[in-house]
Amino acid sequence: MNSNTPSSSAGGPGSADLATPRRNSKRPKYSRFTQQELPACKPILTPKWVISTFLLISVVFIPIGVVSLLASRDVVEIVNQYETECIPEESRNDKVGFIQSSQDKNCSRTLRVPKDMKQPIYVYYQLDNFYQNHRRYVKSRSDQQLRNPGSENSTDACEPEEKTNSGSIVPCGLIAWSLFNDTYAFSRNNQQLAINKRGISWKSDRDHKFGKRVYPKNFQNGTLIGGGRLNTSKPLSEQEDLIVWMRTAALPTFRKLYGKIEMDLQTGDVIDVSLQNNYNTYSFNGKKKLVLSTTSWLGGKNDFIGIAYLTVGGLCFFLAMVFTLIYLIMPRQLGDPSYLSWNRNPGGHLAS
Amino acid sequence: MDSNSQTEINENSYQVPGFIRNSSSRRSISSIQSKTSGGHSIREVSFGELGSKPIRHGSRGADSEGFSASYKEINDDDARLIYINDPERTNEKFEFAGNSIRTGKYSVLTFLPRNLFEQFHRVAYIYFLVIAILNQLPQLAVFGRGASILPLAFVLLVTAIKDAYEDYRRHRSDKIENSRLAWVLVNEQFQQIRWKEIRVGEIIKVSANETLPCDMVLLSTSETTGVAYVQTTNLDGESNLKTRYAKQETQMKNPENEKISGLIKCEKPNRNIYGFQANMDIDGKRVSLGPSNIILRGCELKNTEWAIGVAVFAGRETKAMLNNSGAPSKRSQLETRMNREIIFLSIFLVALCVIVSVCHGVWLRNHKDELDLMQFYRKKDYSESDVENYNYYGWGMEIFFVFLMSVIVFQIMIPISLYISMELVRVGQAFFMIRDNRMYDEASNSRFQCRALNINEDLGQIKYIFSDKTGTLTENKMEFQCASIGGKDYSNAKDSNEDGQTGGGPVLRPKMKVKIDRGLLNISINKHTSEGRYVNDFFIALAACNTIVPLTVDTPDPAVKLIDYQGESPDEQALVYAAAVYGYMLIERTSGHIVIDIQGERQRFDVLGLHEFDSDRKRMSVILGCPDKTVKVFVKGADTSMFSVIDRSLNLNMLKATEDHLHAYSSKGLRTLVVGMRELSPSEFEQWHSSYESASTALMGRAALSESRKQHRTSSQLIGRIRDRRQIAARRPGGNRVFKKGGANQVALIIDGTSLVYILDTDLEEQLFDLSSKCNVVLCCRVAPLQKAGIVALIKNRTDDMTLAIGDGANDVSMIQMADVGIGISGQEGRQAVMASDFAMGQFRFLVPLLLVHGHWNYQRMSYMILYNFYRNAVFVLVLFWYVLFTSFTLTTAITDWSSVLYSVIYTSVPTIVIGVLDKDLSRTSLLKHPQLYGAGQRQESYNGKLFWVTMLDTLWQSIAAFFVPLLAYWGSDIDGSSLGDLWTLAAVIMVNIHLAMDVIRWYRITHAAIWGSIVATFVCVMVIDVLPFLPGYWAFFHIAGTGLFWLCLLGITIGALVPRFVVKVFIQYCRPDDIQIAREAEKFRNSRDPQDAQIEMNKFWILLGHD
Repeated sequence: MNSNTPSSSAGGPGSADLATPRRNSKRPKYSRFTQQELPACKPILTPKWVISTFLLISVVFIPIGVVSLLASRDVVEIVNQYETECIPEESRNDKVGFIQSSQDKNCSRTLRVPKDMKQPIYVYYQLDNFYQNHRRYVKSRSDQQLRNPGSENSTDACEPEEKTNSGSIVPCGLIAWSLFNDTYAFSRNNQQLAINKRGISWKSDRDHKFGKRVYPKNFQNGTLIGGGRLNTSKPLSEQEDLIVWMRTAALPTFRKLYGKIEMDLQTGDVIDVSLQNNYNTYSFNGKKKLVLSTTSWLGGKNDFIGIAYLTVGGLCFFLAMVFTLIYLIMPRQLGDPSYLSWNRNPGGHLAS
Repeated sequence: MDSNSQTEINENSYQVPGFIRNSSSRRSISSIQSKTSGGHSIREVSFGELGSKPIRHGSRGADSEGFSASYKEINDDDARLIYINDPERTNEKFEFAGNSIRTGKYSVLTFLPRNLFEQFHRVAYIYFLVIAILNQLPQLAVFGRGASILPLAFVLLVTAIKDAYEDYRRHRSDKIENSRLAWVLVNEQFQQIRWKEIRVGEIIKVSANETLPCDMVLLSTSETTGVAYVQTTNLDGESNLKTRYAKQETQMKNPENEKISGLIKCEKPNRNIYGFQANMDIDGKRVSLGPSNIILRGCELKNTEWAIGVAVFAGRETKAMLNNSGAPSKRSQLETRMNREIIFLSIFLVALCVIVSVCHGVWLRNHKDELDLMQFYRKKDYSESDVENYNYYGWGMEIFFVFLMSVIVFQIMIPISLYISMELVRVGQAFFMIRDNRMYDEASNSRFQCRALNINEDLGQIKYIFSDKTGTLTENKMEFQCASIGGKDYSNAKDSNEDGQTGGGPVLRPKMKVKIDRGLLNISINKHTSEGRYVNDFFIALAACNTIVPLTVDTPDPAVKLIDYQGESPDEQALVYAAAVYGYMLIERTSGHIVIDIQGERQRFDVLGLHEFDSDRKRMSVILGCPDKTVKVFVKGADTSMFSVIDRSLNLNMLKATEDHLHAYSSKGLRTLVVGMRELSPSEFEQWHSSYESASTALMGRAALSESRKQHRTSSQLIGRIRDRRQIAARRPGGNRVFKKGGANQVALIIDGTSLVYILDTDLEEQLFDLSSKCNVVLCCRVAPLQKAGIVALIKNRTDDMTLAIGDGANDVSMIQMADVGIGISGQEGRQAVMASDFAMGQFRFLVPLLLVHGHWNYQRMSYMILYNFYRNAVFVLVLFWYVLFTSFTLTTAITDWSSVLYSVIYTSVPTIVIGVLDKDLSRTSLLKHPQLYGAGQRQESYNGKLFWVTMLDTLWQSIAAFFVPLLAYWGSDIDGSSLGDLWTLAAVIMVNIHLAMDVIRWYRITHAAIWGSIVATFVCVMVIDVLPFLPGYWAFFHIAGTGLFWLCLLGITIGALVPRFVVKVFIQYCRPDDIQIAREAEKFRNSRDPQDAQIEMNKFWILLGHD
């Protein structure tokens, strides 16, 4: 940067040109910006501000916490873990063998409704210990192929489930391959409870991410079957279970929407579930749960956010009290120059 | 530098005056007159024969014959042989550089590789690159290709464009430079050729006011004495004229008529513009050449019709080009400290990676048997007929890969963007320093200059100041104030508008106005009284005894001409101007005579001998053949040196009175100078002449002699508290008189140069250090440049405290370069100090705003920025890290690659830069009012190990809050990875920006825009990323943002994460306030705004800096 060649006149500050009128003064142009004198707001944390901040936080947080907690308490949730119970006693030593065999996987469970449940009642399956966020897994998909009928062969990312002998797999990749395939049927008092499986996926996915003219091909034809099969006559955009499954979960414990029961359930109702226990979570000790749940504005049953808000709100109220005490016990006039270190021990710094 | 041998030679050369003294003087002379002091015995003035013989110019001119024998031979290996007027032969054996210059660094072809090569000299970029390359390996591809290369590519591109533009400008100026024309002797006549075609060995003719195309040895000039005047403004910024001499042996030759041939043997090209060693074989004689015989590229020939020289260094080998390099790069203390913390961060990084890879190894081990069937792992690939492992390289390799991948994912733990932000912030800070009106010097029309861009923040931590006294403190503005002549005091000088002089032809008027003492003026006109005679001689001495060259300058009024006195010493200038005003106007000076207009009557004096001022003798003398055929010696010098040679036998009253006056003047803080005169009889003259001859042959080596002159020209240097004495005015060389300010409990130490040499040579350094660190002020008098550097090193090596050196002369260069921060004053003594400095300014007093205001701000801003950047990146890395623990340690990021990359580029970068440039903890007024506030920087209050660790603890908590609140809130829900990733991204960005907002002290509109704008920009970016249907996270943001829980999480995280910090901050500010906090409160609530802004007493400032 300092590249003035010596001959390109540096215009030395010479006494030679003292008398000649100065044509181009280099005096910096005055502006409040260059002189760093722009108007500014300089807030200072005065006791008033501090206490009101804490109080404000607690005033906002405590009600939110209470409301959240109430909302969460209002949610009725029935969870039924079935991965062990749905294996016949005799096969429980070799669960993987059982699940891989072609034996009858039928299993019936009974659920008791603890409290009135207003429709819609969401039916979820919950998997534990299933790493849908595993690196090998999340990458193994082709969004191109899912969307575009012409990109059937863009399966580079899908390894090791990209093609079979008869061509590219649609939908390819581990995620699609491992499609969850337990099925549930519900009845109350021997009366079938209809499960609405339409609209369980995101509309944005159906409309833009999964093609309306992309049909499954060569799916689950390989040596190793990972999970469910797909109806080859339905385009991917209508395969809602697949669409839900392919929204990979963030955490190893996750729920996926199975369907909705659009009927109120009363306290004490007994619901018989007839389920097909097809999906192999036994190879990695994964748990399977069936969940029926209502929702609130806050989502499912989860007290955490309510408790967290109450805690923070309570803490801030406490802090407001503490600081009030501090300000009362140790009053200090703000900006009093006698607190400056050189005024507190005059001469001290000179002597050192 | 071999300083020991140097001093030894110097001592030898000191014998010369002594020798002369023994042989020639100690004689009292009765016709003493003169100014302040009465008579003197005069000694060691060089003599020449009346008129005929060439003049000896003291140490500079003492030359040829006397020297050649003892002159240090240049070793053949180190020599450069130049055959005069025979460029073919000269260049035959050695390829000397041609005269074309190239300051451009690149050509079109080499630009890309060279520029990249240079850019990758920065470690940060290499780190970037390695990470980007690692990411390209398919096994490690954590980020998308584009996302991983983008930041590096962006930075490289911006820098490359900047470099290309700068280089283009350099090429353009090179081209102009290379195609200038010069007269070169080809085939016995001078022809015009382009500069770039000039070769070493060619003879070149330069006319008045032309720029010299290369370094050349003078052969002859239009002046019969062989003198040429050059102006070296372009080289060292000094605007006065320098005299250079052609050797008598070549002066008489005219190369167009008579073929000159000879051999010059000279030293290899080097950067020293004040040194040159060579000898010339011509006509069978060997002549030695020195710095006064060479004229350098870039200088202009002045007042000389023409000069002929032979090119010895051309093109890139010229001294001008060799000096054309920027300031040496230094690293600020803050950055050094920061690098230590960066090492800690690297350790964290490695630790995180180790944790991840070890856990991954354990996980793999535990699930060893399940890997084949696990739907989300699928170790085997069954798609081919023979089943192979899919993307699995064995346990060990998997762990290794995971390690590398985690380095890629956690890369921003090392805040690379910090280096770029720091550079930007420094540019901003430099902008404000340069534009500060309060650091603009009207007199020299110079702004503050930042020559080194990377040590701005050091200005806020200075603990020791080393200042050159002469010139730097006094500005070297000299003005004639008062005189005591023949024991009479004339000190009632007042401003006068009186025209100086009317002579024949146009009116000549001195360029500078001088105050006039009426009484003295009246006496000077009437020279027949005894008083008048004294005054007459006094003014002749002032006008004659100097090396000033008068120049006539035209004014708009054709009848009036200004006379401008050019000279190297400001004292001399002041004195000559004074003489001119009193009617003794120096009009013409050649090497053989001077013309003085005495009260309107032009008188010619022959200069028979001249001994320039040097700091051993501290005197200058000149022998004049006066119009009345008498021979007089005029001497002027420091009082100590002059009184030692005064003839004490005569008029004791006058002597006493003079001494009293002298004392009175110097206690007023004036520089004083004693002038003396003596008439010589012809026999004395003869005797002196012969003794001069023998003296000059006894000289050991001229190189050493001139070195000693240079070393001793400046005087003292001081550490710590200095009182600015701007009123110091004319008369008297800067002796070792030092200004002490009496104070209650301040201790000062004064050391002189000789003692210092002794101390530095022996083991007493430690004691000196201990002693001086107990003092507020240490004054070192009469020290050589290398000793100045030695003192700086003494302090620097023994403490971690920051040192600052400030000076204005070439003799301060070594000190300026040695200190942590070097400041050059672009004053009267040339630009050497400026060229070596990190910062340059017009006035010494700008040091106050520079350090107290800008230095403080720079330090506060930069320290906060560094800590904040550490925090900002570490928080993000930790959020990523926590998530990795929930992905079976496989480095999946819920946050998209693009957000990871943009996090430090867009989401959070602008506010920290804006705050780093603009935020002010305190106003200028408060900083100047309480200089003690500067101590915050000295005590490293804003950046230290403790703060770093506290910040890291805070970081840990904040990352936990940011990560685990969403995790727990969404645990066991049907949330998908992309949505949660968006939440984490936004939570981190908002938290980090609000954290910054909490620490902002002054809210400007720009600050608001930067902080809130960044948050908005992040939302926009996240939305844009989520509307791209080919990314897995399509529409995720819009889904999650539609839920109340999302917003509750954001609010909860922000508050929950920042409450601890807020509590600690409030508690410390209220219960343990530091000075800055108090001053800030005072600024806001007390409004005790003192009207006298910036005008603070220097004293406070020095106390502060001196105190340890």
